[in-house]
Amino acid sequence: MAGTPGELGAAGGRRGDGVGGSAPGGSGAPGVGAPGTDGTSSGSGGRDGAVADPQPAAPVVEGEPGGHPQRTQQPLLFASGLDVVYEPAGAPVVHAVRGVDLSIDPGEMVGLVGESGCGKSTLGYALTRLLRPPARITAGRVVFDGRDVTALDQGRLRTMRHRGFAVVLQSGMNALNPVRTIDGHFADVLRTHRRVRGAAARQVAEELLGHVELAPTVLDRFPHELSGGMRQRVVIALALALQPKLVVFDEPTTALDVLVQRAVMDTIARLQAEVGFSALVISHDLGLVLGTADRAWVMYAGRIVERRESAALAGAPLHPYSAALLACHGDPTADNVQLGGIPGSPPDLSVPPQGCSFAPRCWMKEPVCRNDPPERVIGTGTVACHLAPRKLVVPRALEATVLASTAGGMGVGQNSTDGTATYDGRAALSAGPGPGASDGPALSPGAAAAPDGAAWAVRRRRSLERVEPEALVLQDVVKQFRTARRTGGRAGGRADGAWPGVGRARSSTVRAVDGVSLSLEPGHAVGLVGASGSGKTTLGRMMAGMDRPSSGTIRLGGLRVETMRSRDLPRYWQRVQMVFQDPYAGLNPVHTVGYAIGRALRNHQRLRDDRLRSELHRLLEVVGLTPSGQFSAKLPHQLSGGQRQRVVIARALAAKPQVLVADEPVSMLDVSLRAGILRLLDELRRDTGVSLLYITHDLLSARLVTDHLLVLQKGRVVESGPTASVLRSPSHSYTKQLIEAIPVVA
Amino acid sequence: MRYALRRLPVLVVTLWAAITLNFVLPRMMPGTPADAALGKIAGQGPVTASQRRAIEVMLGVPHGSLLSQYWQYLKAIAEGNFGISYTYFPEPVSKVIGAALPWTLALVGTSTVLAFTTGALLGVLAAWRRGSRLDSVATVGCTFMTAFPYFWTALLLLYALGFVLGWFPIRGGYSSSVSPGWDWTFAASALRHSVLPAFTILISGLGGWLLGMRNNMMGVLGEDYVTFAEANGLPARTVALRYAARNAVLPSATAFGMALGMVVGGSLLTEVVFGYPGIGYLLYNAVVNEDYPLMQALFLVITVSVLLANFVVDLLYGFLDPRVRR
Repeated sequence: MAGTPGELGAAGGRRGDGVGGSAPGGSGAPGVGAPGTDGTSSGSGGRDGAVADPQPAAPVVEGEPGGHPQRTQQPLLFASGLDVVYEPAGAPVVHAVRGVDLSIDPGEMVGLVGESGCGKSTLGYALTRLLRPPARITAGRVVFDGRDVTALDQGRLRTMRHRGFAVVLQSGMNALNPVRTIDGHFADVLRTHRRVRGAAARQVAEELLGHVELAPTVLDRFPHELSGGMRQRVVIALALALQPKLVVFDEPTTALDVLVQRAVMDTIARLQAEVGFSALVISHDLGLVLGTADRAWVMYAGRIVERRESAALAGAPLHPYSAALLACHGDPTADNVQLGGIPGSPPDLSVPPQGCSFAPRCWMKEPVCRNDPPERVIGTGTVACHLAPRKLVVPRALEATVLASTAGGMGVGQNSTDGTATYDGRAALSAGPGPGASDGPALSPGAAAAPDGAAWAVRRRRSLERVEPEALVLQDVVKQFRTARRTGGRAGGRADGAWPGVGRARSSTVRAVDGVSLSLEPGHAVGLVGASGSGKTTLGRMMAGMDRPSSGTIRLGGLRVETMRSRDLPRYWQRVQMVFQDPYAGLNPVHTVGYAIGRALRNHQRLRDDRLRSELHRLLEVVGLTPSGQFSAKLPHQLSGGQRQRVVIARALAAKPQVLVADEPVSMLDVSLRAGILRLLDELRRDTGVSLLYITHDLLSARLVTDHLLVLQKGRVVESGPTASVLRSPSHSYTKQLIEAIPVVA
Repeated sequence: MRYALRRLPVLVVTLWAAITLNFVLPRMMPGTPADAALGKIAGQGPVTASQRRAIEVMLGVPHGSLLSQYWQYLKAIAEGNFGISYTYFPEPVSKVIGAALPWTLALVGTSTVLAFTTGALLGVLAAWRRGSRLDSVATVGCTFMTAFPYFWTALLLLYALGFVLGWFPIRGGYSSSVSPGWDWTFAASALRHSVLPAFTILISGLGGWLLGMRNNMMGVLGEDYVTFAEANGLPARTVALRYAARNAVLPSATAFGMALGMVVGGSLLTEVVFGYPGIGYLLYNAVVNEDYPLMQALFLVITVSVLLANFVVDLLYGFLDPRVRR
């Protein structure tokens, strides 16, 4: 780039001030040129304009790769050649965003999707100048409303935030100052930007809260007195207080309950239409983005690899990565449900990419992929892939089918198969990383992977002896919690929620689980679904012997959890093991994988020395962490999320359990890794006869790995039956609500 | 207010427990003060029955059942009657303590509060300007300072500023040439005498507060609500103080409460080094002279002050953090 973006940008900022559309496109000042005002500007600004295609030799350039080919108006925000690096002390420099060009028009809603670590949040922070050291913009410009944002000093930036860009942070759970009332938050913002105080400010705040469907009384509350959804609405209202032209939503609904997610997204979409701001929705959830945004950008390894209109992307993705991401979503009520996964993990961004960054995980890669991919314009979108446009068929990892003849009736068949190798013939290369070293070994698509998967199954069957079959039977199980009275909707808190000694008299009881009976037969998989607060985790913990029921019985053969003494519980835990939600918190960071699993083997099976070692390696192979010798010496931080979850599963298997209780085992993982873990659970059940209690809010995964489903609402089972028939013909309104809350990918 | 009322029973119970322990513990020790005194006399020759009787009466060896003794003890405490000090015979213990308490409260209390406020403020500043020169100087300097044992700092100051340079008096609470009273000469003298011990406490305390506050602040600065406040374009000062520091101070507030509780009893070494007429020095003398009534009363005073300080901080915490106010 010519010149320092700072000075030039500042100059551009002053010039553009108040002038609106009069960007000096061809003026002598390099680096100031806003992209052309129409679609014919290919090459107008040279390498300093919006056209910063790294490969000028790209075949057809009908418009600018950075945006709409048929743009008719001045973009509200555009960035060109944006580079962001993290420069932590004593660690390699990570190149999180690499040469990104983009533009957002006034009033449009754009979605930005990608797996964790792809740079999407960093990009959002860079666009709004919220990056903190050690992150730094090293190249490129971000021009917002005619001003180069990267060059503004903090003082100007602050004033610019008003009527400029606002940010709604990840889920809003922690975006509010815990010691300040909601009123105080509004007062701070309104005083700073609108010079409104006192009663007038309160009136404005009430009005803003009205926009997000909250009552004025919320103003007198503290953040902890509000539910997650309410907090997120407050955050949105605060962002609106700035009267922004652009709102960046960074994972706006991630930590929210499924039903609340939907409501919040609806509110965002309505406000966007009413108020008319532009919106950038950053999310890992492709379904959510495609359901609400006009256009969608797919980001991978610091680059935007595909930009399309949402419907077009949903219908026919052009980049293999987008196609693979799409395959990780599905409609759990369909006849035939398939789930894809992407083997391997995203590249290390501290190493400069050699050619296409996705190639190592791509099932279609060809020698040409060793070169940097060009950004091609196809239709109204762009894609950075050598092979585009080519028909993409993504290999699937898991499948559940309703047999046509018996569909809808009682005889609902369900099966799960190995990767259905229906991919383009040409791509039949045994590409992809070797099995084991990657996150999704079982998913290695194509012919090369199939025998491998089969070999695995055989090995697993031989090595894990079948356990004598006994059902886990629950009868009228109730769990009550004493909670302090709260104004917000946070019912069903933890057992230790009440402060000891204080306020006993004023506490009330909540029935987190209210009279549940169920029987988990050997080798079967039962799903437990419901929104948060429905009591599903509490029920799972009781079944895993970690909490005692307030009344009712939980029996496994001769063992009765509710009457067992604490020191006898290890006998129960030998037969019922739990797989936790958070693989990052589930492993002690200072112990190696070998130690973590070895510890469990010592405790449960009393193994020592050689036998312990051989059993350890066998377990690592069972969960697909090969070569096992290498993995047993690793520390948790050296593993990816999916690999960690495999370690957690191996540790649970160390007890040779009859029952696995898996509480949201994949919800913290990237979508591309979920299929691998789900398939592992499914295979374990089939091969070893271990029964599975699968707790989730995600109906799609429940459809794929369970054969029986219980829908929980406020601690009660409101509906139960074979998974496919419950999902396909729900009878209870709550089940219908849960199904409707799933974002629809066209 | 309701929050405060709910905390009150806890305070009453702990107070009672402290008072009772103060009664029980000495009685569980083998021997009595009279035995100790008699043992000394026995070294010089045989003890007669009348000698024994005289000493027992003088020291007030308890008689009657344990329960009636306990009742007497509670009554005495309610009346503020802690007996007669041996060391300062025939002054009553309550008067001796009453004379020493203001000195300690003024010196140690003020310097502790001062150490906390300056330390915390500097900590906030260091964290807000992380990586700046101020930050590195403060962090390294404080690590260095807190590594010093504080009595050693006291001796060093005493030697350098008091003995060698002669800027400040070496010992005592006020000059022997002035008589205590509410006048300027006395106040000036007292102030001059308090500089060195106060400085010692300030130096030894400040570093810890600064480092603690800086670390809390660094954690809070990573919180979403700070980023969000910044994203909303709030002035830097508002973000730093009202959003970041306001939350970062919470863990420090608890520690500060503990420190306040230790004000009365925790300054022993400093006061001994400077011969300062406060509670610490008194305790030292009581121990050296086996002054049991004084010791017992001092223990009670120290315990009660710790409890009261914690109670006050509890109340303050309820004010500072709405999440515990329920």
